[in-house]
Amino acid sequence: MTREAVLDVFEQFREDIDQGNDRRERLIKASRDVTNISKKAIFLLHRIVLEDSADDRALALRAAASGRAKLAEANALFALMRPELVGDRYWRYHRQVTGGLQEYIEALSFAHYVEHDALISYQQVQDALGDADGPFFPLNPSDYLLGLSDLTGELMRFAISNIARRGGRPKASQVCAFVRGCKSDFERFTPHVRELSKKQYVTANSLEKIELAAYAIFVRSSEYDLPQEMLDDLVSQVTARFSLDNNRDPLSAHAHHDGGGGYGERER
Amino acid sequence: MDPVDLERLNTLLEHDVGVSEKIKEQVKEFDKKVRIIVGILGKIHSTPSNSMPELLDSVQPVLLSCQEITTNISDVIPPDQFWRWKDMWSNSIRTAVFASALMEYLRNGSLLSLPRASEILGIQEEWKDRFSLPVEDYLHGLISMVNELSRYAVNAVTLGNFEEPMRISNFVKDIFSGFTMLNLKNDSLRRRFDSLKYDLKKIEEVVYDVSLRKLVLPTPPPQ
Repeated sequence: MTREAVLDVFEQFREDIDQGNDRRERLIKASRDVTNISKKAIFLLHRIVLEDSADDRALALRAAASGRAKLAEANALFALMRPELVGDRYWRYHRQVTGGLQEYIEALSFAHYVEHDALISYQQVQDALGDADGPFFPLNPSDYLLGLSDLTGELMRFAISNIARRGGRPKASQVCAFVRGCKSDFERFTPHVRELSKKQYVTANSLEKIELAAYAIFVRSSEYDLPQEMLDDLVSQVTARFSLDNNRDPLSAHAHHDGGGGYGERER
Repeated sequence: MDPVDLERLNTLLEHDVGVSEKIKEQVKEFDKKVRIIVGILGKIHSTPSNSMPELLDSVQPVLLSCQEITTNISDVIPPDQFWRWKDMWSNSIRTAVFASALMEYLRNGSLLSLPRASEILGIQEEWKDRFSLPVEDYLHGLISMVNELSRYAVNAVTLGNFEEPMRISNFVKDIFSGFTMLNLKNDSLRRRFDSLKYDLKKIEEVVYDVSLRKLVLPTPPPQ
């Protein structure tokens, strides 16, 4: 091969490599945007669910609908990513998109839980990840499980805030049981999914926080033999004081209240 | 979680485990083969050029037997999942490319092309989404070849072959200028490319030594 021929060949390689790198960069950006949107959807859900309302069911439905509406923005991004992830490209760039995807699944499953009190199924997530033209890309079981594993952290916050909320304690114990179920269901998958065992550890921590909070309320309420409504007032007074201490988002005050500090503690 | 869903996920994940185990078996075999090849090719440094074809012929059957491995791996990989599993054998395949490229140079003094490397390894076009030879792995193989040639330049002189360093120098310079055309990210390929200049320098020094001595001392130095 002459020098010119060698250079011609390498020029072809350059195009090939550049194309791959450019696509990778585009997907990293898109994935970051999906993460961002999903986080906002999660905050939105937390905010709405905590509003004062006479009709909790209506509130839950409104929260879920708003969360989904926010997530529709992420769907639009996924639709744009479809050609970049077609065929064997999906696995080539999987590492670049898995972060955003997991965050999306976390938000979606949270909305689903708020509405149905149940875990979103694998098929339901795959169905959400598509439009009239079919799925954006095939859903990988690992991504599904890792996304759900993050849900437990959100539910911990959700449960803790419910404890402080008027009439929210039965809800909190329901969430507690649900997270316990998730943890035990996920356990069998840990040998197959890398990272899941680390997340299981975080889930165990979240679960313990919910349990401790439920315990504290139970013990204290037995001390005062008060009717539920008065106890509600007492608890909200205490948590209100925490909110004053802390000028940030009221949610973080609740997280603070349970002694653990929920936000910013997680892996991602 | 719904028991049906639980079962479905379990089936999917178990299937992946099965794929990974089958690939592992093949990679183990692949690794054995490339080690044998590299072992034999180590002898080029002590083989005079007239016995070189014989040495290379002895490697050929082992190299061609790698086709069996690539076929087996491609059979195991589900459609579109090439990139999911490729890291498992990238070391072996890079070494196989290295060996093929080195042999091509020693035989014909020319650069083994990527399509030709795929052909030697028996990689079929229709496997594309399950098994292929990516540019990166091919380039890793070429860099290993340059590393090896810088050593070979030195040892060829010891064996009395004074033209070899010149040929190697020209050959490697072409490859080097090819690499400079690429926009590499900060990955292992980039780092290895950065180290190529030391090989180039080493080869240049040999060429310098030889041409200098030839001017001063026309007869070859005693062995």
